[in-house]
Amino acid sequence: MERRWSILTGEWILVSAYTQSRPTNPVNTCPLCPGGDEFSEDYDLASFDNKFPSMKLSAPDVESINEIFKKDKSNGQCEVVVYTVEHDSAMSLMPVHQIEKLVNMWVDRYLDLSQHPSIKYVYIFENRGREVGATLPHPHGQLYAFPFLPKRIESKLNALSKYYDENGRCGICDVVHEELNHKERIIYENESFVAVVPFYARWPYEVHVYPKRHVSSIVELENEERHLLAKVLKVVTMKYDLLFQQAFPYMMMLFQAPVNDVRYNHAFHFHIEFNPVKRDKDKIKWMASVETGTWAFINPKIPEEAAKELRNVEVVV
Amino acid sequence: MFIAPLSRDELKKIIGYRKLESAEFLVELEKIHLGYKIVIEAKGTVDDVEIFSFPRPERLLVNNWQSWGPTRVIDRNFELNFPKDLIEKFGFSASIMPEKYFSTLISDYFIASDNFVLGALSSKVGHPYFELDKEYVHVKLRYFGKTFNEWTKLESFVVLFINPDVGLPHYVDLVAKESGANYKRQNPVGWSSWYQYFLDFDYNKMLSDLNLSNGYGYEVFQIDDAWEKDIGDWEANDKFPELDVLASKIKEHGYIPGIWLAPFSVAETSKLYKEHPDWVVKDKDGKPVVAYENWNKKIYALDTTNPEAKEWLKNLFVNLKNAGFDYFKIDFLFAGAIQGERYDNVSPIEAYRTGMAVIRESVGDSFILGCGAPLLPSVGYVDGMRISADTAPYWDVNGPDIGYPNAYYALRNVITRSFMNNVLWWNDPDCLMLRRQETQLTDEQRKLYSYVSMMLDNMIIQSDNLSLDIDKELWKSVLNYKKNGRRIFKVEGILSGEYKITSCGLNGCDKLIIKDLKNVQFDVSFDKKRVSLIKSVEKREDGRTFNYYTEGSESEGLEGDAK
Repeated sequence: MERRWSILTGEWILVSAYTQSRPTNPVNTCPLCPGGDEFSEDYDLASFDNKFPSMKLSAPDVESINEIFKKDKSNGQCEVVVYTVEHDSAMSLMPVHQIEKLVNMWVDRYLDLSQHPSIKYVYIFENRGREVGATLPHPHGQLYAFPFLPKRIESKLNALSKYYDENGRCGICDVVHEELNHKERIIYENESFVAVVPFYARWPYEVHVYPKRHVSSIVELENEERHLLAKVLKVVTMKYDLLFQQAFPYMMMLFQAPVNDVRYNHAFHFHIEFNPVKRDKDKIKWMASVETGTWAFINPKIPEEAAKELRNVEVVV
Repeated sequence: MFIAPLSRDELKKIIGYRKLESAEFLVELEKIHLGYKIVIEAKGTVDDVEIFSFPRPERLLVNNWQSWGPTRVIDRNFELNFPKDLIEKFGFSASIMPEKYFSTLISDYFIASDNFVLGALSSKVGHPYFELDKEYVHVKLRYFGKTFNEWTKLESFVVLFINPDVGLPHYVDLVAKESGANYKRQNPVGWSSWYQYFLDFDYNKMLSDLNLSNGYGYEVFQIDDAWEKDIGDWEANDKFPELDVLASKIKEHGYIPGIWLAPFSVAETSKLYKEHPDWVVKDKDGKPVVAYENWNKKIYALDTTNPEAKEWLKNLFVNLKNAGFDYFKIDFLFAGAIQGERYDNVSPIEAYRTGMAVIRESVGDSFILGCGAPLLPSVGYVDGMRISADTAPYWDVNGPDIGYPNAYYALRNVITRSFMNNVLWWNDPDCLMLRRQETQLTDEQRKLYSYVSMMLDNMIIQSDNLSLDIDKELWKSVLNYKKNGRRIFKVEGILSGEYKITSCGLNGCDKLIIKDLKNVQFDVSFDKKRVSLIKSVEKREDGRTFNYYTEGSESEGLEGDAK
C-alpha cells in the first residue's frame, strides 16, 4: 500500500493490492446484512474500516526511489458507510428520517476524521448500480479520507478561489443566485437547498445539490437544514428511479472544504454532485478516451432538457 | 518606502533592492489567494528595519507579543497610558522591546483593519512588528543586530485584502503551515489549583479536591504555582510530599498528573542563581538582566544557549516526567526571549526556540500548555496556549487593559484570538470558576465565560475548591457539550466589538451574540434537536474499527453519552 507521484500530471496515484481482493457481487450472502461477514447482530447505521482499503491511517512508511519516482505512505482512511439494515432499500426508498440520520453520521465522520493531522480531505460518496462498479447491492456508500488533495478537488478549490479573488464573492453563491432567477434548470428546491441540472453538466441527467446559503461543509448546516438536505436527496434519487422506471445507477459525491485547512471556507461552497451514467433507458454514457484522457466531457444531453424531464417526474415525499 | 494607500497596486512599489542601515535587502511579492506574500532577503547586519509604511486606518486591530497581552481594536485617539508604577515590574512581559513599547504604539506579529489583514508568517529568528504613529503604520522587522554573511530569507509577511473575520482565520492557517504547527489533537478537560488557592495551596487541599472530584469528568488534575521551593528551584517545598508521591496520588484517581513551572525564570533568591550566576542572560556590563518582577522578587532569565543550563533544563523535565507528570503548564515563557547577552551569539527568538525545543524533546508527547509565551515563536512546540490575561474572580471593566488579571479582558482576548484555536494549538481561555462563593463573578458572567469557551472548542479547565457551592448544572452542560466532539466555529464582529459566534458540531449549529461584552449582554440559542444519535465504537480483532449509530431518545442522545 503506497501512493506514487505522477510527474506527468502532478497527482498522487493510490497503489493497493488489497483492493484486488474485493468481492464482486456475492450471490449467496450479503456481507452487510446481520449474520453476514461484517455484522453478527442487528444495527441501525454504521461506518467501518473497509476490509480492502487503498489507504490506512497506520499505513507503512515507504521510501521514494528517486526524485522522479516519488512515493509516500497512503496514510488515509477508507470506510464503508452503511445506510440501513434493510437490504432491499435504497436512498430513494428510505424514509427521510433515516437519511437525516445518515447526514448526521456523515457530520460525525467528517469531524472525527479531521482530528487526524495527516488527513487533508474527507470525501463521502456512493456508487449505485453495477454500471458504476458497485459490488454490493445493500444500500451503502463509502468514505475516503485522503492525506492529500485529489486533483479534481484541487481544481475546484483553485477555480473557486480564483473566482473569489476576481469577484470578491463565492462562485457557487453566484450560481445559486442565477439558477434561482432563471429557474429553467431547477428540478427541485426547498427552503434551504436547490437541485439543478447544472449549466456546466458533464453527464446526461447530472444533478447538483447546492445549499442556498454559504456553508463550506455539512457540519455548518443547522439541524433543520440537515433535515432539508435529507429531503432533497430523497427527492432527487426518487426522480432518478422514476425517470426510466428502473433503479437508476449513479455516482453521488459530497464536495466539502478540506479539513485541517481553513483557507477555503469563504470561497468553497459545499455541494453534492450526482453523476449518472445513463443517457437513456438502455444507453450508457461511457467515460471513454476523450473524457478519461483529456478530462473534456461531451454531454449528449442538453442540460435544460434533462432538467425539464427530471422536473416533470412527480414525486411525493 | 511609503505607499498610499495599502492596496494591491500600491504594494507593488515595495518590490526591489535597497540598502538600509548596515545591510542590503531584496523585497519580492508573491501573489497568493486574497493578496500577496512579501518575501524579504537580507545580507549584512540587521537590527531594526522598516520594510514599508502606509497611512494609518481609522481603526485597527492590534496585538501584543505574548499570551497575556491584549488583542484589541484601537482608534486614532488611543493612548497606551501604561501605569508608571508597573512599568518596571512588567519589564519584558509587556514587550520584547520595552525600551520602545511604553512610549510608542506597537502591534506585534499582525495588524488588521476593516478591509485587510497584514501579518508575519513566522518568528523563528526575528521579531516582526508594526509601529504606529498618528499618521502611519510602519511595517518592521527586528533582528537585534544579527549578521547574515550570505543572502538570507527573513521572516515573511502576507497582506490579505479582506474583512478580518474571514482574513484572520486564513492568515493563521498560513502561519501554521509556514511555522510548522504541531500539536496533540485532543484537548483536555481538567482542574487547576490556581484561581481558587493561588499561592495558598498545600497537599491537604489537593487531597480534599481530589476526593471531591469524582463525577466532574476531569482528564487532567494540575497543581499550579505554590509547590516549589523557589522560582528556579523546582523541588517540592515542605507543604507537599515528593513529586512522585504527588503524581501517584493524582493517578490513583484516574487523572493525568499536571504540574506548573516557569522554566526560563530564575529568582534572584534561588539556589539556582546563587550556584550558577553565569546561567542567566546578562547586559553588556555583565550584570543579570531583570526579565520582570513577581513574588516580590527580581526574576532573571535562563540563558537557554548555555550548554550547562540546557542540560539542567533537559534533566528538569526528564525528571518531572519520570516522577509521573504528563501535562506541563509552563509559564512566564517570555523570559526565555528577552534581549541581552548569552553564551551563543543568537537572537532572543532563536534562544527562546532552543529552550522550547529542549523542553519538547525532554517530555516527548506529553501535553505542553504554554503561558506568558511569545505567540509566533512558540508554534510547533506547544499543544495548548494561553491566549489571554489571567482570568480572575472579578469582572473589572475599569481596570487597566495591560495583561493584568481580569475576567473581562481575559474573555475579550478569548474572542479576539479565537482564530488561533485548533490551527496553531488549542486555545486555553483560562480557567472556569464555577463556584458561587468566594467570587465576585455574577451568574451571567460565569455563564458567558463558559459558553464562549465551549462554543469556541477551547480547552476546559476548572479552578474551584470543590467543597464550595459549585454551579454543577453549568459544569454538566459544558461537559455534555464537549461530548459532541469537535466543532467548527465562526466569529464575526472582531472589529465592531459586537460579537457573533456560530458553533457547529454533531448537535447542530448554536449561536451566541454578545451585544455588549462589558455589560455582559448576550443572547444564546442552541439549535433545536431533530435527530439524536447514540454512537458506539467496536474494535475488531482484525484491527478494524466499527462505528455504530443508533437513534436514541431526546434525553439519551450524544449529549450525555461518552463518545
